[in-house]
Amino acid sequence: MSDAGTAHPIKVTINGETYERTVLARTLLVHLIRDVLALKGTHIGCDTGNCGACTVIYNGRTIKSCMMLAAQADGAEIETVEGLSENGELSPLQRAFHEHHGLQCGYCTPGLLMSATVLLRDNPNPSEEEIRRGIRGNICRCTGYMNVVKSISAAAKEGAQ
Amino acid sequence: MLLESVEYTRPATVEEALEALASDDDAAPLAGGQSLINVLKNRVASVALLVDISRLEELRRVDPRPDGSLEIGACVTYDELDRSAEVRKGHAILADVAGRIEDQQIRNRGTIGGNCCLSDPTNNLPPLVMALGATMNVQGREGVREVPADDFFHGYFATAVEHDEILRSITVPALGRDAGAGYNSLTIGGDSKAIVRASAYVRGDGTIEDARVVLSVVGPRPIRHPGMEQRLRGQPATAETVSRASEAVGEGDGLEPPTDSHGTADYRRRMARVVARRAAHEAIARGGEGGE
Amino acid sequence: MTQTPTGETTVERVAPSERLGKWSGQSVPRKEDRRHLQGQAQFADDAWQRRMGYAHFVRSPLAHARIVSVDTSKAEALPGVFATLTGAEVRELTEPFFQIAPEPGGNIVEYCLAVDKVRYQGDAVALVLAESRDIARDAAELVEVEYEPLPAVVDTVAAAEPDAPVLHDEVGTNVAWHGVYDYGDVDWALENADHVVKIDRLHFHRFSSTPLECSAAVVNWDAGTDMVAIYSNNQMPMFASLVIGPSLGVPSNKLQFRSQDIGGAFGIKIGSYPQLAGLCLLSRKAGRPVKWTEYRADHMMSAGHGNERVFLDIEVPVMSDGTLLGFKVRAFDDAGAYLHYEPLGAVIWSQVTPGCYRFKHIHVDYTETLTNKCPTVPNRGYSRLQHLWLTERIVDIVANELGFDPVELRKKNYIQPEDYPYETPNGCVYDSGNLPKALDLALEAIDYPKWRRRQQELGKGSGKRIGIGIGTTLDSGTNNFGQSRIINPGLPFSGNGEAAYVKLDLYGEVSVNLGTTPQGQSHETTASQVVADILGVSPDDVHVTAGFDQRHNTYVAFSGTYASQFAVTGLGATMGAAERLRAEIVKVAAFALEASEDEIELEGGQAVVRDDPERSIPFMGIANLVYSNVAALPPELADSVSLNSRHTYRPPFEVPDPEAKRGNLTLTYASQTHACAVEIDEESGEVSILDYAVADDCGRLINPTIVEGQVHGATAHGIGAALYEAFEYDEDGQLMQSSFYEYHAVTSLDVPHIKTVHVETPSPFTPNGAKGMGEGGGAPLHALCSAIQDALDDDSPVVSETHNAWERVYRLLHPDPGTGRGVAVESR
Repeated sequence: MSDAGTAHPIKVTINGETYERTVLARTLLVHLIRDVLALKGTHIGCDTGNCGACTVIYNGRTIKSCMMLAAQADGAEIETVEGLSENGELSPLQRAFHEHHGLQCGYCTPGLLMSATVLLRDNPNPSEEEIRRGIRGNICRCTGYMNVVKSISAAAKEGAQ
Repeated sequence: MLLESVEYTRPATVEEALEALASDDDAAPLAGGQSLINVLKNRVASVALLVDISRLEELRRVDPRPDGSLEIGACVTYDELDRSAEVRKGHAILADVAGRIEDQQIRNRGTIGGNCCLSDPTNNLPPLVMALGATMNVQGREGVREVPADDFFHGYFATAVEHDEILRSITVPALGRDAGAGYNSLTIGGDSKAIVRASAYVRGDGTIEDARVVLSVVGPRPIRHPGMEQRLRGQPATAETVSRASEAVGEGDGLEPPTDSHGTADYRRRMARVVARRAAHEAIARGGEGGE
Repeated sequence: MTQTPTGETTVERVAPSERLGKWSGQSVPRKEDRRHLQGQAQFADDAWQRRMGYAHFVRSPLAHARIVSVDTSKAEALPGVFATLTGAEVRELTEPFFQIAPEPGGNIVEYCLAVDKVRYQGDAVALVLAESRDIARDAAELVEVEYEPLPAVVDTVAAAEPDAPVLHDEVGTNVAWHGVYDYGDVDWALENADHVVKIDRLHFHRFSSTPLECSAAVVNWDAGTDMVAIYSNNQMPMFASLVIGPSLGVPSNKLQFRSQDIGGAFGIKIGSYPQLAGLCLLSRKAGRPVKWTEYRADHMMSAGHGNERVFLDIEVPVMSDGTLLGFKVRAFDDAGAYLHYEPLGAVIWSQVTPGCYRFKHIHVDYTETLTNKCPTVPNRGYSRLQHLWLTERIVDIVANELGFDPVELRKKNYIQPEDYPYETPNGCVYDSGNLPKALDLALEAIDYPKWRRRQQELGKGSGKRIGIGIGTTLDSGTNNFGQSRIINPGLPFSGNGEAAYVKLDLYGEVSVNLGTTPQGQSHETTASQVVADILGVSPDDVHVTAGFDQRHNTYVAFSGTYASQFAVTGLGATMGAAERLRAEIVKVAAFALEASEDEIELEGGQAVVRDDPERSIPFMGIANLVYSNVAALPPELADSVSLNSRHTYRPPFEVPDPEAKRGNLTLTYASQTHACAVEIDEESGEVSILDYAVADDCGRLINPTIVEGQVHGATAHGIGAALYEAFEYDEDGQLMQSSFYEYHAVTSLDVPHIKTVHVETPSPFTPNGAKGMGEGGGAPLHALCSAIQDALDDDSPVVSETHNAWERVYRLLHPDPGTGRGVAVESR
């Protein structure tokens, strides 16, 4: 690249696989994930860290990957939507979204799944209010949140994570 | 959405961080990034060198003191405040407020230091630290100096922290068994940006001995309201006192709130009174929460 | 043919297919889900091509200015920049876009980049192409544009005044279109009514559905084949083709619009065609594919907003028994700086001229104006939403002013169940419905008597008020594009249609492809349900192509996904194609099984002789005979089957009468009735929704859960617009919202629990009894205005705005002295 600036070598583990890459300081983590590593499941929906479409799990906690520099993520363990299912088998949480129509256009879905994953890890039996607070950082323009809440609730009952 | 060209360094110690900041006129500390990355994405300000202090352990501790005060490292996140037993024990209101900032993802990264230093008038924690009478511990290469919270916030994104310093920690005094703090915001949506906000501290058993009332989004920085505080001191700690005292807000007190898409200056002035009253009321109701 | 009550418009009744039953009507889980849940979907920004450059638009910071000069030299000098494109080049290379409006509006000269003038903040002035996103962004800042600012006009009524700054010199005025719709005799009604309720002004604000995915594309003008490939998330690619093809000089058969997954569109992504045209030129100039990602600030500023409409001098004649005779109004619609689908909206509202009511005397003086704001696009509920809100405010305000019970007044004036099919004063035919029942169900769902009690119990001094609101709306679906001739008699458009293709593949696998571009409406699933019913297979056995490809999918000029019509047009086409395929399968099976055609049934992927299950042939066998064993068929049979069936569903429309402004403009009318209870904080004006219910009727439900999901989504959008979301410009034409901080898209904490109940009045006009739905009709706007009004005092101002954020509600509760109520009643 002819972009001026120091190149920073980083090492990140995503869904169990380790990647060593060199990034410019200004590269956002979401662009590392999407453009450099071609993991397209994590999406971008805004410029200001509001919409949550870029949500990934970073060292066990959810973050908005558009609000972190890739260089800051050196050494981190990251989980993205691509890591939720194993060998093409949907996880109980993913199945719950499928059974309860928790998605329509699907654009917010990966970020929501990551938020729901950590929500259920922290709180395996959340009330509707706790679910709504847990997903406040994920904007959805299709579902009105009703079936999203229903899906997460159903997943919790099944003992999903 | 895309940043301008910038340099980045992640020093291993606070001393190295201070050196890095001093090395470039356009250097800035980067903690959680939930404010600063936005600033850079929207190209509202220019930074040449980002000095990442988010992993410095000494800035990430919550240290309870024997006297009941709490020293909170600048890089402690909102989520950590929310879940900290030490914070909840003596300063539950701080945990409560931190736990309702925007959303979980932002709370997992946003820091108390960032919230205070990137002083957007709508930020949640500045009025609260002022109401709690906190001391801001600012570290430069010469050492740490203490700045009362009241003197810390200078204006839009401007604080007492000089270019070659960082905010190291915030010391929040013990609340004491006869004191309480309150907090009230009028927001646009649930846990969202404030239209206007107030935080209050009231001390006294039956009679108010001391009071602090802080308003924010009424100008470029959060401010104390001496008019209302005066009308609280020496009065019985009742709802009626608080109501009467709050009438001082918005009446010739020189408040100059902004007019923007979320409210006119006039509306904010009127609502400042409402949130001030509600915050002071809560402070009385929560009295003794932090005491032993 | 069935005669409607006045006999002027007739619509052919259609017997719904008897084959629909086993799968249609079931809440079959979606085929689309798997790829989305696993992060394997393909959205437009996921596309990548070798050698591609990254594009960034340079946009005007000013609302109105002459372009003095555009200097791209510094941008081009930046290392990594491949090419730039300016308006001056575009003017040489392309023809202006086709305009829908007649003169003078039709004289607008619009290219894909601004030429000579910029007319709104965000108007695209230049394009930059570079080897990375970041460099393109940096280079865009190096493009030097010199502007000579001009005064801006941002008020739609002021824009129509003769002394307003004119945006388009070729038009000479900001009035892009004007027309008077006059039905019955409103002057007679006003003279003879017992009361006339006069409302000064009602204002429907600017907002947008802001789909979570912004526009994006990878465009390649292939130098070898001259094919122009556009991989994007445009939701009406055939409309885009019709407009940009002639502009670029590219024939339709060299355009290749493609998309797979679209992250919500809601009408906004109809408007991306100007940007796409610019990207095509840039690709040709640079000799490489061009990738464009629209960021949120760009989207808010330039992708398109919903129509803003001002209603003035509203007069409503009312009889003492509560019968509303009609209304008279002057309407001003704000199209923004360019006509990007307008002035079609100037007639589309008339699909629902009387709203849900039996109004007979209606007079609408409608002016479409140009202003220095973002061009409007058909945002969810397009143009009907604005008009329905007017009719709902009218009924609500009349009830309030004249002391009628709000429920009884609505029921009295509703179109009654026995009236359907109901012909409206302008010749539209409402197919079916049961509004009184829907209202009863919605009120029951919120326990209306309980909220009335609570409202009374809440005394003065509590600091809170409770308001109960009702909003009834229509979602008219399947347009007759002939209504465009009411705007411009010279337009060569009429009717509607959608196409589908159903086939058996080599081993008998069932395949479907559609002309639609779904953005979450679950077309793959519902199409597979109807095909499964017709062919006797399970939906799992029906493969529906994900997405749209102009070179492979079948389409007509109206193809796309918009305007609440898929259940009728898309499924109509799918059913038609499936029936044709079925007939072929039966024909081949009859030969193979030595039976007559009427003995053959299709079940479980086999053709079987009825009552003789031993005699059967699987679809694999049918496919074998037609594809690879064709000499085994008699020649006439072999010549008459292909197992590749295409069908265009064509709704029964005629061309409307442009002079009388009459005709059947839409085929189906879904309805939604919303009831809600709100609590208002007297000190701050903050509104909390305590209870919310929707009774929806979209005729026969093909997939109830999917329908309910659409109802939830439309409700959330409406609540968002009502209380949280607004696009506002200051007097210099600067947009005050550029992010989700200022434009507060509703979150899970803002949208309440939504109760839904269904009423099902099948449409007599569609092949499956379903009615299109999806847009919703904006009933939360109607219901929340009604609820807020209900909470106010008798002498409070009327709720006259669609957007009631806290300060506005505060001002309604505590009006400044001298503030008028905005309404007056004249009684005889």
